[in-house]
Amino acid sequence: MTVHEQIGRARAAGAGSLDEATGKDILASYGIAVPRHRIVRDSAELRDAALALEPPFVLKVVSSAILHKSDVGGVRLGLRDADEAAAALDAMAEALAAHGLSADRWLLEEMVPPGQELVIGGLTDPQFGPMVMVGLGGIFIEVLKDVSFRICPITRRDAVEMLDELKGAPLLRGARGRPPVDTDAVLDALMRIGGPDGLLMSHADALAELDINPLIATPRGAFAADARFILRPADASWSA
Amino acid sequence: MPPFANTSALESFRPLFHPRSIAVVGASASSVSGGNRFIRHLKAFGYQGRILPVHPSAERIEDLPAIRSLADLDEPVDYAYVAVAADAVPGVLASGRGKLRVAQVMSSGFGEIDGGQAMEDRLVAAAREAGIRVVGPNCLGVHSPRARVTFTERTGPEPGRIGIVCQSGGLGIDILRRGRGRGLRFSGLVTVGNCADVSAAEIVQYFAESDDTDVIGLYVEGVRDGRRLFETLRANSTKPVVILKGGRTDQGRAAAASHTGSLVGSDHAWVALARQTGAVLADTLDAFLDTLLVFQCLTPAAVPTRRVVLFGNGGGTSVLGSDAFSRAGFDVPRLPDDIVAALTALELPAGSSVRNPIDTPAGALQKDEGRLFPRILDVVGGSGALDALVVHINMTVVLSFRHVDMLGNLVDAALRAKADGFAPHLALVLRSDGEPDVEEKKRDYRARAVAAGIPIFDELASAAASLAGLRLVEAFRAGLDGQIGGRTVSRRSAAP
Repeated sequence: MTVHEQIGRARAAGAGSLDEATGKDILASYGIAVPRHRIVRDSAELRDAALALEPPFVLKVVSSAILHKSDVGGVRLGLRDADEAAAALDAMAEALAAHGLSADRWLLEEMVPPGQELVIGGLTDPQFGPMVMVGLGGIFIEVLKDVSFRICPITRRDAVEMLDELKGAPLLRGARGRPPVDTDAVLDALMRIGGPDGLLMSHADALAELDINPLIATPRGAFAADARFILRPADASWSA
Repeated sequence: MPPFANTSALESFRPLFHPRSIAVVGASASSVSGGNRFIRHLKAFGYQGRILPVHPSAERIEDLPAIRSLADLDEPVDYAYVAVAADAVPGVLASGRGKLRVAQVMSSGFGEIDGGQAMEDRLVAAAREAGIRVVGPNCLGVHSPRARVTFTERTGPEPGRIGIVCQSGGLGIDILRRGRGRGLRFSGLVTVGNCADVSAAEIVQYFAESDDTDVIGLYVEGVRDGRRLFETLRANSTKPVVILKGGRTDQGRAAAASHTGSLVGSDHAWVALARQTGAVLADTLDAFLDTLLVFQCLTPAAVPTRRVVLFGNGGGTSVLGSDAFSRAGFDVPRLPDDIVAALTALELPAGSSVRNPIDTPAGALQKDEGRLFPRILDVVGGSGALDALVVHINMTVVLSFRHVDMLGNLVDAALRAKADGFAPHLALVLRSDGEPDVEEKKRDYRARAVAAGIPIFDELASAAASLAGLRLVEAFRAGLDGQIGGRTVSRRSAAP
């Protein structure tokens, strides 16, 4: 199934967003690195799936109905082995039930090595069409609103300037004794989202908003640890 | 798809800027309406083409023979000034089918009011049906000095090389009149109002294509075709563009479902557009006019302006000026030892400082009746140690030395240096106390300096802010390499 078909099917079904696993598959098809993962339906399946992956693990509930997974206890990080992950799945199912929610699918994935958290975002502006955003994660985006926007399609020069513009940019270069992150990988990710053949230009008519939060930039590579695609209603579209 | 889609903007809007004939719909036989005033402005401005008032019953309007309807025209007119009630506009356009190229609709009562969008849609449909391009509605007119066309008074007949697209009629008059006072000279100004048919981007494209225009200024409040404007500006790489954007401070979208959506404000897109196209965003009308003046006078240099030398009288002013230039992103570096030595050799009187800022008390400047200054210009001009020299003069103090025309000598020296190819950018700050005699002198010097290509400012802070716009354009064109990740990344490389 092409990305257009995947997104089209979800919109036709009236979905307002894509589930995380589908979103990450789409990112991967655009060349963005995502952690290796498996979709499982219960803890027994999880034990089999864990054999193909390297711990530590992350476990997340898969549901397009739950936009803020961590608010309902739907995310567990740093699970050391399959036993711990399986126990976490059962506990998560109980926690969801307490919120009146249920799920029949879970995402088991390898935990991304530590690095600098960034956010790459996209939206379709009513006047300017697709726009791409980058910021540093955590307080930089939540409190300081330290973000940079560009109108798509961006050039590599635009991408470089977007990072340069951030007040937190020195952290990418290895401030406070940390190793510098793989900036080229971040620039590549920005181009694959906001560039001429990027995700946003290709799907401006179907996508309302996009968050890759966080994109974890390490000294070797940058990985999308979460992806949220907000879809336009099936009857709405944007055209230049 | 608008008519003329296959022709250049230059061709489409020649009738607007250089009309050979003008029809006026909405002039009165018995009172003085907007249409009558427009005819009077045209006559006073020296318009040489044919003016055709359109009136259902009057024989003559403003001493010109009137016709009943645009449909009665014996040959097509280039431009119609339309100022009738909103609901009569579609009918006027329909009557112009095959008889009219561009109509400018001044009337209000369209999309800018609640419930007016349907009327605006009717206007656009009527224009398309009749094959007429429509500027407006809800605007004031067009100013085109080379064609002797204007829509208001006291705008100045001198043609220039700045083209303006203005979404506000009243602000358009401000830009023309206040701009003229600062020495700005225009190739044209169009008030575009609601942009129901002709968009701001199309007029920008006209100025980009026109040989009459070197600098483009844009006042916009809201654009329906932001993307087209973005693409037009991105394709224009030769002419500096200055944008004054109204309404840049509203909040992000509260209803957004994502981080990204909740963080974006209306300003983000405009800042992005400026960064991506090399346009300069001005925050105020004064900054807009000052920045246009910089581009009218100075040609962007191949190497971005960074090192600024200040020269003038007043220690405190020099210090504040250094702060202003530093805040605007410039260096005010200490001059190299050999230049300092050369300046010291001029034997500047006591109280002078030659390190940068070069600060010379007014009393010192009168040495040789102010002829010290040309020597200082000679020393720094060819030194290669600076990208811009900003000369600031406290006029009141200098004018108090009545026995010599020291101020005149200073300004003349600057003009001569500019004429002799003074290498760095040269700008002049004439600081006045506002007294009428001082202001009078300033007006004279301003006219002479701007004519010679030296921008003049009232204060060092506005000089710093406006020259920062010049540096921005220079840096954009230079496509400088950025430093990220601790190593140089080329910004010229294409997409991966």
